[in-house]
Amino acid sequence: MQSNLVSFIQVLRSHDVRVSPAETLDAMTVAKALGYADRTLLRDGLGMTLAKTPEEEVVFNRCFDQFFQQSLSDFELNESTNDGAQGDSDGEDDSSEANPSEAGENAQGDSESLLEQAAAESEQIQELMQSDLMQNLVQNNRTELTMAIGKAAQDANLQQIKMFTQKGQFTRKMLDAMGEEQLRAAIIDLERQDSPALAELQRYRDLLREQVRDYVDREYLLNAEGQNKQFMEDILSKTRLSNIEHTYLHRVHELVQKMARKLAARYSRKRIRTRRGQLHMAKTLRRGVASDGVLFHTYWRKTNKDKPQVLAVCDVSGSVAAYAKFLLMFLYAVQDVLPRVRSFAFSSHLGEVSHLFDEHPVDKAIELVNWQYGGATDYGGSLMDFANLALDDINSSTTVIILGDARNNRGDPKLEIMQSIYQRAKQVIWLNPESRRAWGSGDSEMLRYQSACHFTAECNNLKQLERIVDQLLKSTR
Amino acid sequence: MNTLDFPQLASVEAIQSGFESYGYICSKKIATAVFLAFQLRKPILVEGPPGVGKTELAKTTAEMLALPLIRLQCYEGLDEAKALYEWKYGKQLLYTQVLKEKLGDLLQGAQGLAESIERLHQFGDIFYSEDFLEPRPLLKAMQEDEGAILLIDEIDKSDYEFESLLLEILSDYQISIPEIGTIKARTAPMVFLTSNNTRDISDALKRRCLHLYIPFPTVELEERIVLSRVPDVDAQLRHQLVDFVHSVRDLDLKKTPAISETIDWARSLLLLHADHLDEELVRSSLNVLLKFEDDIETAEAELRVLVKHAVES
Repeated sequence: MQSNLVSFIQVLRSHDVRVSPAETLDAMTVAKALGYADRTLLRDGLGMTLAKTPEEEVVFNRCFDQFFQQSLSDFELNESTNDGAQGDSDGEDDSSEANPSEAGENAQGDSESLLEQAAAESEQIQELMQSDLMQNLVQNNRTELTMAIGKAAQDANLQQIKMFTQKGQFTRKMLDAMGEEQLRAAIIDLERQDSPALAELQRYRDLLREQVRDYVDREYLLNAEGQNKQFMEDILSKTRLSNIEHTYLHRVHELVQKMARKLAARYSRKRIRTRRGQLHMAKTLRRGVASDGVLFHTYWRKTNKDKPQVLAVCDVSGSVAAYAKFLLMFLYAVQDVLPRVRSFAFSSHLGEVSHLFDEHPVDKAIELVNWQYGGATDYGGSLMDFANLALDDINSSTTVIILGDARNNRGDPKLEIMQSIYQRAKQVIWLNPESRRAWGSGDSEMLRYQSACHFTAECNNLKQLERIVDQLLKSTR
Repeated sequence: MNTLDFPQLASVEAIQSGFESYGYICSKKIATAVFLAFQLRKPILVEGPPGVGKTELAKTTAEMLALPLIRLQCYEGLDEAKALYEWKYGKQLLYTQVLKEKLGDLLQGAQGLAESIERLHQFGDIFYSEDFLEPRPLLKAMQEDEGAILLIDEIDKSDYEFESLLLEILSDYQISIPEIGTIKARTAPMVFLTSNNTRDISDALKRRCLHLYIPFPTVELEERIVLSRVPDVDAQLRHQLVDFVHSVRDLDLKKTPAISETIDWARSLLLLHADHLDEELVRSSLNVLLKFEDDIETAEAELRVLVKHAVES
């Protein structure tokens, strides 16, 4: 049972529930204290040590049911298939479980006699009938059979299953490990002889195969689902954002939320609002009066720290819109820890869109932004608009993030505005979705704008985006 | 460290029925948490919406085990001096004044500064000993010989730094005081932490606790709670009012009515001599259940449907 618990915790981990070794030990103690008799009790108890948030508890409950269902449903399945196939021998299934050898004789009297006949005729069949596997099948010994399947799964390393294409391969491996070969050979033999026992033996074989296949299916769902998701997320976070297919967008959205949560947790410490200043002598003296003039409590002046402010300026023209979407999604997802984001959108002209984000959920707001500010890009004009709107608000605690490809359609770049922003702001970050090699080629003004930025970065997949937001959070502390 | 044995905590069922006899009706899950906390000697972190009985759980446990309940209410700015211990500065000061003359006697005949200091050193750190230590709730809980129930209420209101302060206490049941050394609990107290989830608790703290989430109770459970707290309410009315509260919880409200509000409402309906719900009665007493004007307006708009549903169910 202990190893069972450990592999259950493996499954939990693959479903994104973080379980530390110390918690594993706790879970063992819990299981020992509660015993294995009461299922819900055990589930509640394990849930308290392993799942740490209500969301995790939902995942935990689902995994628990799936994982510990296994051995139980094996019995039921076996029973139902037996009932269906045997027809006349049902009803005795219950008793056969209690006393397999005796009941097995009664229940499967007909079939066994056929097989016995065949066994008497052929040495091969006789050998087969004496194997453990066949004994268990004939006597309907489910506990033994389940254990045999479990052992075969272990031998075949079933927990390593990753792709659904591997299902057949693992099923075969497991069947081989259980000695199904012998059964198969016997069937071929009987086919040649056209023996009446053939149907009987085939039924046992199908039964066995079905059981093993079911087992593999369940194991695949448990182990591979989480891994596949991980795999998918890895790929998605490294793909160029503009190349992500529409069907995966909701996944990307989830992924952004997940990354944002991670970052938010890392920076969730409260920002220090004040810095300790000089000693305030008067107040310190006054406090000392209570202790007969001895200065126990010192009083320090405080200087307030400026609240950081982030201005996000996004190009939403066709070529860059996809990137802007994800940057905004990211910025608004970490808003709990990143105070006061003001967002601006531009292509031919520029406007502030913060109010859209206040009024609508992020996805909807982004749609509205795209719709309002589409068109041919004009960086010069947009920078002018930006200067009119927000230049006065930029001070030494402001971070300006500009996202765009800097392709100005050969217009006036208005570099002097960029320079005045650069001089006033704490930092100016320019994110360009194009690769560094393309900067400055054709109508790209990137190299010139770069001279008026504290930091420029290539930004075309989620990994890079996450790194940049991480840096941003660090610098606004 | 002593371990105490309580027959009341011998099994999950015993806890559940024990709580019941003290008027705290709980689900099996809650009883399991208390059972495990006792068996594993781990604190319980209780989360859930306000008013579902998080604090009450600790109180009832203390009552049932006849142990002292030591409560630490958390708030922003709570620090070591208010939660752990403080030196009795006044007493220290007073004693130094009183002992001034004694000091003279002691140092009489000492040759030079070095010898005086040598003599003083023989007395050790008198002023920084346990006699001058003012224990605050956390230290007090460690010092109880018979064990205690320690309730750290609304941990989410405290600062991030305070959580780190708790780590040593919660995992080893000991407190390090630089001037004295480590004070270890003679009997580990049973610790309850409550949180309203206004912010995330750090992983380090969560890892040391059992995690118990108390949701709003089911209709059956809530009826039993009302029965135990306000036994005089008529069975029909009890069923109707609990059903009504449950449908109010499904509305989009600022503050969802909790169990305590249900009980208050049941009490006020009792005072109004009601034996069943009707629209007028509900309208006039809705302010007991809902605490915001907006919420009352929202509920009033749906009142007819809600009352009808409650009466017919």
